[in-house]
Amino acid sequence: MKLTGFFALTEREVSRFLRVWQQTIIPPMITSILFILIFGYSLGSKISAVAGVSYIGFIIPGLLMMGVIMSAYSNTSSSLYISKFQGQVQEYLVAPLSYWQIIFALTIAGVLRAILVGAGILAVSLLFTSITVHSYAMLLFFIVMVSLLFSFAGIATALWAGNFDQMNIFATFLITPLTYLGGVFYSISMLPSFWGTVVRFNPILYMVDGFRYGFIGITDVPLWHSVLLVLILTVFFFVLCVWMFKKGYKLRT
Amino acid sequence: MDAITIRNLTKKYGDGTVALQNISFSIKKGEFFALLGPNGAGKTTTINILTGLANKTSGDVLLFDQDVVRNYQQARSLVGLVPQEFNLDQFDKVYNTLFFNAGYFGIPRSQRHSKIESLLRELGLWEKRYSKVRELSGGMKRKVMIARALIHEPKILILDEPTAGVDVETRKSLWTYFRRLNQKGTTILLTTHYIEEAEELCQRIAIVHKGNIIALDTKNNLLELLERETIKVVLSEPLSVLPPSLKKYGAAVQHNALLLTINPKQNNFSKLLDDLRKTKLSIRKIETERTTLEDVFLHLTKK
Ligand SMILES: Nc1ncnc2c1ncn2[C@@H]1O[C@H](COP(=O)(O)OP(=O)(O)OP(=O)(O)O)[C@@H](O)[C@H]1O
Ligand SMILES: [Mg+2]
Repeated sequence: MKLTGFFALTEREVSRFLRVWQQTIIPPMITSILFILIFGYSLGSKISAVAGVSYIGFIIPGLLMMGVIMSAYSNTSSSLYISKFQGQVQEYLVAPLSYWQIIFALTIAGVLRAILVGAGILAVSLLFTSITVHSYAMLLFFIVMVSLLFSFAGIATALWAGNFDQMNIFATFLITPLTYLGGVFYSISMLPSFWGTVVRFNPILYMVDGFRYGFIGITDVPLWHSVLLVLILTVFFFVLCVWMFKKGYKLRT
Repeated sequence: MDAITIRNLTKKYGDGTVALQNISFSIKKGEFFALLGPNGAGKTTTINILTGLANKTSGDVLLFDQDVVRNYQQARSLVGLVPQEFNLDQFDKVYNTLFFNAGYFGIPRSQRHSKIESLLRELGLWEKRYSKVRELSGGMKRKVMIARALIHEPKILILDEPTAGVDVETRKSLWTYFRRLNQKGTTILLTTHYIEEAEELCQRIAIVHKGNIIALDTKNNLLELLERETIKVVLSEPLSVLPPSLKKYGAAVQHNALLLTINPKQNNFSKLLDDLRKTKLSIRKIETERTTLEDVFLHLTKK
């Protein structure tokens, strides 16, 4: 199988966000610094250690996951949506690229941006506190799988969306609130038991919790729940993307 | 093996519009073929199905025996498409657009530069290679789409109204360019509203109307069928009796004018003039009117 076409599309997608790194890589780092300053320093000093970890050390893994989720999702969704809007997505459709190649080229760019953002947030975090790693394997697993998951989800959204409003629905009403409420800033043990049950329906909580395990070695929910959920959701969105591309959902008339 | 084979192709859009009704035709390797038809006839629909931009409802479409659905990757690699609507990345540079599209078609990096340079030079766009697409004029954008379609030297070139919005001079030079490509062996399928364009370039022409092919023949045969010239002879005084010698020209009397039709392919214009002179009618002036595409459609759809 010739992969020149696949590499060309990947290169275009990667250069698309690297060219405007000031808009794609830097903002999540600034957001994280702000959160660290506000919650970590000013308020965090009033919050006692969570599970034996300083509050600032507790929120950093969550901030990182937040940046990863947003970056992966917005990279694939905006790239594909704009291509659809300008009609330039037809370039991929008339070329001898397989559906897999198109999906993976878009996804690799999303994953790469997410990992760069994650590394950037980690780097700025190190300015404020020292960080220990409990399990590199789990860190790698969660950062790669979650960025894959949201890259696929971004592709599916861009294919589905017929206009800008529809494009923003998921980001505004689903992903952003679920991320903020996804255990970035609190441990379930800090919540009243009713809310402790409610937040367990938020899938992002599991991603944050599993990823945080990689750093501090402690979880709120069983680790295997998080691993399994992330695997299932990733496969689900992947299959959805393949199906939509194959069918030419809102791509081919 | 034909370059393009279309068998019993039907296309029904999601909203129920039937755009193509069981059409069949094939285009030979090396042919320059035109699809001619009014707005909404189904030309772009046909092309979109050939190139993977639309799904067929039923029927078979093959490009050099490769099924456009089953062997879609092989089929796509054979075709270059210049679409009717602009579909370029407005924010990218001309050079990059061609560079990446060359990649999509499997051209290694090392070969891309020379291909891009020769194409852009031929099309007079080399100076604009570092301009963003949105900074180009409409005609230049169309040329970028032509360059993009040709970057992988496709065996089949599909042109959907390639000279829409292009000035007369550019149109003529594009015609020359397309003719040369065809002479070098590229099979070309062109759609157009301009009968002159089809006449100028194509060996065979299919006329599409409401999703059907209502005529398909060589250019010469179609012109013989369709192209007739109407000659209006204005007389000094009204005519009461039609001279019998003019009957064979399908003569009709209109006040003090005679309407005669001839087929210019039969070269009988001087014969007509002779016949006219022999009638000794006093002629004030003669006007000729060529058949337009509209006349052709009216003629064919009335049948
Ligand atoms: N995406 C679509 N959804 C529904 N109907 C469509 C769609 N695209 C085209 N049609 C309909 O299909 C028919 C054929 O359209 P098509 O674009 O193939 O015409 P055309 O011959 O290319 O016309 P033109 O000369 O104006 O470009 C028209 O009735 C059109 O309204
Ligand atoms: Mg059209």
